[in-house]
Amino acid sequence: MKNLILVAVLLMTFTLSAQTDLPTAKLKTLTGKTTDLPTIAKENDLIIVSLWATWCAPCKNELDAISEVYDDWKEETNVKLYAVSVDDSRTVKRVKPLINGKGWEYEILLDTNNDLKRALGAPTVPVTLIIKNGEIVYRHSGYSPGAEDELYEELKKHS
Amino acid sequence: MNTSNMKKTILLLFFSITIVGYSQETETENESIVAQFLNNLTGSFESNAQWYTNDKELGDFSDPNFPIEDKSLRVNSYLRLDYNFLKNFSVGVQLESYEPLPLLNYYTEYKGTNVATYYANYRNEKFDVTAGHFYEQFGSGLLLRAFEERQLGLNNALRGGRIKYAPTEFLNFTALYGQPRIGFETSDSEIFGFDTNIDLSNALKIENISTFNLGLSYVGKNEEFIPQDANFDTIDFPEMVHSYAARVDLDFGKFYTSAEYSIKGKDAVYSPASAGIPEIIEGKYFDGNALLLNLGYTKKGLGILGTLRRMENMAFFSEREYSVPGNNNFNMLNTNYVPALTKQQDYSLANIYIYQAQPSLQIQNFAGQAGEIGGQFDLFYKFNKETSLGGKYGTKVSANFSYWALLDATFDQDNSTYDAEFLKFGSRLNRDFNMEIRKKISKNWSGIFTYINTIIDKGVTLGGPLGVQGDIKSNIVIAEATHKIGKGKSIRVEAQHLWTKQDNKNWAGATIEYNATNAIAFYVNDAYNYGNDVEDDQIHYYNVGGSYTKGASRVALNYGRQRGGLLCVGGVCRFVPENTGLTVNLTTSF
Repeated sequence: MKNLILVAVLLMTFTLSAQTDLPTAKLKTLTGKTTDLPTIAKENDLIIVSLWATWCAPCKNELDAISEVYDDWKEETNVKLYAVSVDDSRTVKRVKPLINGKGWEYEILLDTNNDLKRALGAPTVPVTLIIKNGEIVYRHSGYSPGAEDELYEELKKHS
Repeated sequence: MNTSNMKKTILLLFFSITIVGYSQETETENESIVAQFLNNLTGSFESNAQWYTNDKELGDFSDPNFPIEDKSLRVNSYLRLDYNFLKNFSVGVQLESYEPLPLLNYYTEYKGTNVATYYANYRNEKFDVTAGHFYEQFGSGLLLRAFEERQLGLNNALRGGRIKYAPTEFLNFTALYGQPRIGFETSDSEIFGFDTNIDLSNALKIENISTFNLGLSYVGKNEEFIPQDANFDTIDFPEMVHSYAARVDLDFGKFYTSAEYSIKGKDAVYSPASAGIPEIIEGKYFDGNALLLNLGYTKKGLGILGTLRRMENMAFFSEREYSVPGNNNFNMLNTNYVPALTKQQDYSLANIYIYQAQPSLQIQNFAGQAGEIGGQFDLFYKFNKETSLGGKYGTKVSANFSYWALLDATFDQDNSTYDAEFLKFGSRLNRDFNMEIRKKISKNWSGIFTYINTIIDKGVTLGGPLGVQGDIKSNIVIAEATHKIGKGKSIRVEAQHLWTKQDNKNWAGATIEYNATNAIAFYVNDAYNYGNDVEDDQIHYYNVGGSYTKGASRVALNYGRQRGGLLCVGGVCRFVPENTGLTVNLTTSF
């Protein structure tokens, strides 16, 4: 049985391409309205979706780094960044004061029961996606300083 | 069909689909069908392998849960598959494998390889209907939260049915029935739930309030009771625990507030282990309640949040047996979610003395305890660019203060009754102050400075009665600097120190992390308990490792020694004994 699973997994890893369709998991805005990624993608040609949490240091580093250059990115590529917090009920109330305290100008969404995180198969955060015309065209997990430059290069390809 | 047969059928079905799909790929006429099938199939795979080794300082590898089985190579794996079809339908399954045994101190019934969860779902604009396993949370989870946390081995997904109905934009209903998962099995207990949310700001078109939401929940838990003792008087015994909650969320723009109140129905309590085998105390059934308040103020560059929570008898398990103190070391079958409301820490030394919430009523244990009361206060502030404290790039400051105590109560242990005060603090369990300053110093240099001061009750962190054994007081200073070299290369250095005069005394720690590219990283770190009074216990907990990330896949390798203690994720903790070994983590999604 174990071997069978292993074989099946290996086969799938090699035969299946990356997930490009948008998960339909429901997300909440900070005002309690319900939305999802397909709806958001319909309204915007090019978006960055970043899964983050208030307790995740690399996530905050990434969003801090992007916030320094966000105005330039918006101007040059017309991109919009949706920062999806995966904070659960322990820390979700910290999201609003934290984003203001940091002066981030992103659109904030909440994935409190981690439905989107699960649908994306993301065991850890940060996870960063570029979505162009409703399709996931780029995905990266983790953050190392300077990774925002690579993200921008990728973004320019799709703008 | 019984459960195990059903599981096997599903398992076979999935594998045959996968394998058929693969073998067909060579036939060109079927390629479009296969391509379409694969296009509709998404999934993820995660595998965590550890090879435990003997250690000349920590001793030979042994597993307290499987003392006679000497299996030092173990792999926990999770394969999740979701298939979407006909626009509105999806089906999915999660297979889990713990071979040959689960990783150290995972719930011991996670054994072997099997189907863990499965579901079928239909979703349109107004309806969302699920049969099979599902995850759910009502409000902040004071009464119900079914969720998965793999690192802790927690998965209490409900198996049954759920209907979500949203007739308008401002109104939604959820009705559910299910039995919680435990290990690869399903509990015999039953959960009934109903939840509704009304967005009043939208419904009544209120202009100057951005959020005005009301929510109401009901959760019923049913578990049959057959007394061991034939003389047990079962009249009034609460097999069904009816629980209710109401909540409100208000946001006026800068000011925002929320309140949630829940009442847990009457449930049984047990006699302590010190009086023999714990038994249900006949005729003494207690209800519980919780109050959670948040009040915040925020504007550009500033965020303030205060939280208050009072919990009386709010431990809520799907099976009574799991509420017996000492009987549930793996935190299984929680119906609700009442995490510690303190700051969640990232750094290694900041995770040694961690507070855990104390929601339970233990009427006869030690001097008795009825619950917890306390609060926390958060501040986030940004000193703007070009100010004296902001400098060229601005400076970001955050601080958190929290205080938690036993709920003040008096106990009549002979008669098994108690009386709790409404808003009165009993013995202090935890006091925590911490602050963090983040600063970008130049184009390529940035730093974070952290100071933490904590007082934690010995009973909370080391076990035993609460509030009477004294405290552990610690101070922690952490400094880290990151240097961007360019082209994806960067280096991060971190130094930590913990001072305490109690327990294991002082610790020092350091980390060096090198990112060779955006995809490849290496690190080495150490936590050294140099202050320990016992010279043999002055141990280095060192780790070296690296990781490779590409797209949705990541491989990480680590070799080192893990400090024993609580591993906490989201305010829920799992105890892990100290161990040494090689770890490989693989995650991918498709």
